[in-house]
Amino acid sequence: MLKKKSWLLFLSFLFTFGILAACSGGGGEETTSEETEEETTTEEETQEPGEKVVVGAMDTAPTGQFNPLFYTEAYESNIISFVYETLVSQNENLEYEPWLAESWEHNEDHTVYTFHLRQDVTWHDGEPFTADDVVFTYKTLASPDYVAAGGVRTYVVQRLLGFEEFSSGETDEFKGVVAVDDYTVEFHFTEPNVIALADAAFYIVPEHVFADVPVAEIPEHEASLMPEKVIGTGPFKFTDMVEGEQYVLTKNEDYWAGAPNLDSVVWKVVSGQVILGQLESGEIDFVADPTGFDPADYEQVAAMEHVEIIEEPDFGYQILGFVHNFRTEEDIEAGVINPDNFVPNPDLQDKRVRQAIAYAIDREALIEALLHGHGTVMNSPIAPQWWVFDGDTPEQYEYDLDKAKALLEEAGYKDVDGDGFVETPEGEPYELTMAYPLGIEVRERSAPIIQGMIEELGIKVNLLQPLEFAAYSDQLEKNTEWDLYLLGWSLGTTDPDPSGLWTATDAYNYGRWNHPEADALVKQAITPPEAFDRDFRAEVYKDWQVMFQDELPALILYARNSLWAYNKRMTGIDHMPWSFLNDPHKWDVTE
Amino acid sequence: MTKYIIRRLLVFFPMLFALTIIVFTLLKLAPGDPYSQMMDPQIDASVFEEQRKARGLDDPIPVQYFRWLTDAIQGDFGDSFRYKGRTVAELIWDRIPNTLYLGVFSVFITLIVAIPIGIYSARNPYSPLDYAATGFGFFGLAVPNFFFGLAVIYIFAIKLGWFPSQGSISKPGLEGFELLKARLHHLVLPGLTLGLASTASYMRYMRSEVLSVLGSDYIRTARAKGLTERTVLYKHTLRNALIPIITLLGFEIGVLLGGAVITEGVFKYPGIGTLFLESIGNRDYPVIMAITLMLGFFTLLGNLIADILYAIVDPRIRYD
Repeated sequence: MLKKKSWLLFLSFLFTFGILAACSGGGGEETTSEETEEETTTEEETQEPGEKVVVGAMDTAPTGQFNPLFYTEAYESNIISFVYETLVSQNENLEYEPWLAESWEHNEDHTVYTFHLRQDVTWHDGEPFTADDVVFTYKTLASPDYVAAGGVRTYVVQRLLGFEEFSSGETDEFKGVVAVDDYTVEFHFTEPNVIALADAAFYIVPEHVFADVPVAEIPEHEASLMPEKVIGTGPFKFTDMVEGEQYVLTKNEDYWAGAPNLDSVVWKVVSGQVILGQLESGEIDFVADPTGFDPADYEQVAAMEHVEIIEEPDFGYQILGFVHNFRTEEDIEAGVINPDNFVPNPDLQDKRVRQAIAYAIDREALIEALLHGHGTVMNSPIAPQWWVFDGDTPEQYEYDLDKAKALLEEAGYKDVDGDGFVETPEGEPYELTMAYPLGIEVRERSAPIIQGMIEELGIKVNLLQPLEFAAYSDQLEKNTEWDLYLLGWSLGTTDPDPSGLWTATDAYNYGRWNHPEADALVKQAITPPEAFDRDFRAEVYKDWQVMFQDELPALILYARNSLWAYNKRMTGIDHMPWSFLNDPHKWDVTE
Repeated sequence: MTKYIIRRLLVFFPMLFALTIIVFTLLKLAPGDPYSQMMDPQIDASVFEEQRKARGLDDPIPVQYFRWLTDAIQGDFGDSFRYKGRTVAELIWDRIPNTLYLGVFSVFITLIVAIPIGIYSARNPYSPLDYAATGFGFFGLAVPNFFFGLAVIYIFAIKLGWFPSQGSISKPGLEGFELLKARLHHLVLPGLTLGLASTASYMRYMRSEVLSVLGSDYIRTARAKGLTERTVLYKHTLRNALIPIITLLGFEIGVLLGGAVITEGVFKYPGIGTLFLESIGNRDYPVIMAITLMLGFFTLLGNLIADILYAIVDPRIRYD
């Protein structure tokens, strides 16, 4: 009796399960269970027959802020870059080319740039795109409430004329960007501006949508958050979403450069461990920005016949930072960075020690072991894609343990007590403290290997327990005891200028490298009028790169290659060195 | 009984209050803040200083706490730091349905599988099916969630194509029956994964409880009275065997709303769990506080309900 009952329950469970399983066949047009072969997938019901749709995967959901003025993450950028456009864009050599602006000219001293806008561009809601939109965009970026509202992109407006007065609220007239007529706009800069085009390469937002919205309320406005309400000029409209799961871009029939070939591009949020399976089954068509796929999976992806791989050196690198100086407790407390008050770190003052460590680290081996060879050794903190990058003159630090040991000995560090580790020239025990953050698996795994390499050289390394990133960056900023730190940087793609990371007063110069000569070079490279000459800039940066490698504020460990993959049914792919997402209106599919 | 409930409710709110003070203080003492991860060489650090000031992060902790408390009492949980332009209430509200669907579905699976099998095993101990169930129980407890999740994705989603593996519905704009169907369909794999471990443990509990009750004197008495096996089982055995299960279920309410961090992550199922974890990593204080408060509330409530249910199930328990 009872036996029957519980079996019945179990059966009814199986039955429910069966019905649910059957759902997959019911909704989709193509899947019938008899024909289920390897190839079959839960082909999602997104597609009407004959529609051209490609599906991209990203491993993290965008936070949902789709206003270019306020977004902060690369995942939002995956939607924004389809929807919004800039006045000028960069080609594969990182040179600026016309986009929404057809042409431009500048005055004698590069303080005024005049852009002539295309006259055939309309917003997704049909309104014409005009100079007023450009003025509105830049005015909003410079407005007094912008930063408090959560905006961080003041760096594109800070060189504009009258920025200080306008952003501090002294005046409500903004002189930086002025509309001459409907299709002509002038950018006025306070000083001759070497990177004027980079400043002008920001996404333009529609004035007619946001004109009456107070700046503080723009981030919460529906046109910043909601599909259909987000209005750009780009080849695709943002039309639908399932928050946290799917983001649908639909073609803009009236796109000025011609209607896109694809009907729709759908972004799906897919867990990193599942992306490759779905790429193989054809459920997704491409995985690219911002993370691509993992180097460890390269062979597996390469074995998929219907998938093409793109490998590009990353705009960024991982470093082993050397702490040259510390800030004083008072300065840390007050939040100021004053190089005059820096306290030298006695453990790394001798540059021969830093150089010895650089020679002792086998970076090729790191790349081989951790990135399966899909990385690049770098000997300059400037991305190799730039014309100012110098790959030869700066010291290359090829792995050479003997040379490293010789340098260390020359600096007076010898093992006097025979414990296998060197002591300071004064005979004191010598130990370096090394810290690293959690968050990137490759970096986490590299820390003990690097520790081993430095210990091989004869320097004892105290490797601290890794910290969660928020805690790590906080400690690093206030550092008073670490000697070595691991960190990674993504570099901007608009200009090679390295300030922000490596000059004495930069917040992110965590090693507190203080080298007035080097700082002078960085400044000189963007000081007009000489800096308008590309060769001059290249020359100055060359000197700086040599100085960087000699002084070693950090050893650049490697640049991880970006690995992108797409289904060969996609055509018209024309990626840029920094992004797969370029000219999506030319993308197409073959069946 | 009523008195007891009132007494419990009286300590309820002071406990929540204490919880918020502790969590808030610990959060603020942890190194880093919402801006410490936003490192970008192009952006001047002073920008973040200005934003810290604008959001009141420079104020002393008690000042910040009272500002939070005053707002929270009025139902305003503030704006998220990371999710720009979104209030915390919106964020949580958006995700609660998903979390509930997944939680209820997995508890449902747990109960309909664990209870019958547990009873069967106890009634027929050391039978082949009991051994199978025991084996399954240990398997369920031993296999890590994420591994089981990936395994079912590989088999049922990628190889067989029976179920979708990612997300909570298949596409935007579904309505009515289609929507329900898509939801259920998407729930199967994460629901099974989430339910696996608890199914295993509930099953073991059920088995041992029923076994021990079946061996007790009053069951022998009941049988001696000539009661049918059915009455013995449902009236005398189950009622007593369910008590520990009720305790577990009481805790389950809090857990249910807390979401399942790992399962949600593997299946990219947008629920409270991932939001919570992510917010901790990003030091998104208002979100963390709101979720903590919510979880605290429902955990306390779940315990209260469980205590009340004891009295109903077990007449020996009296609250005075």
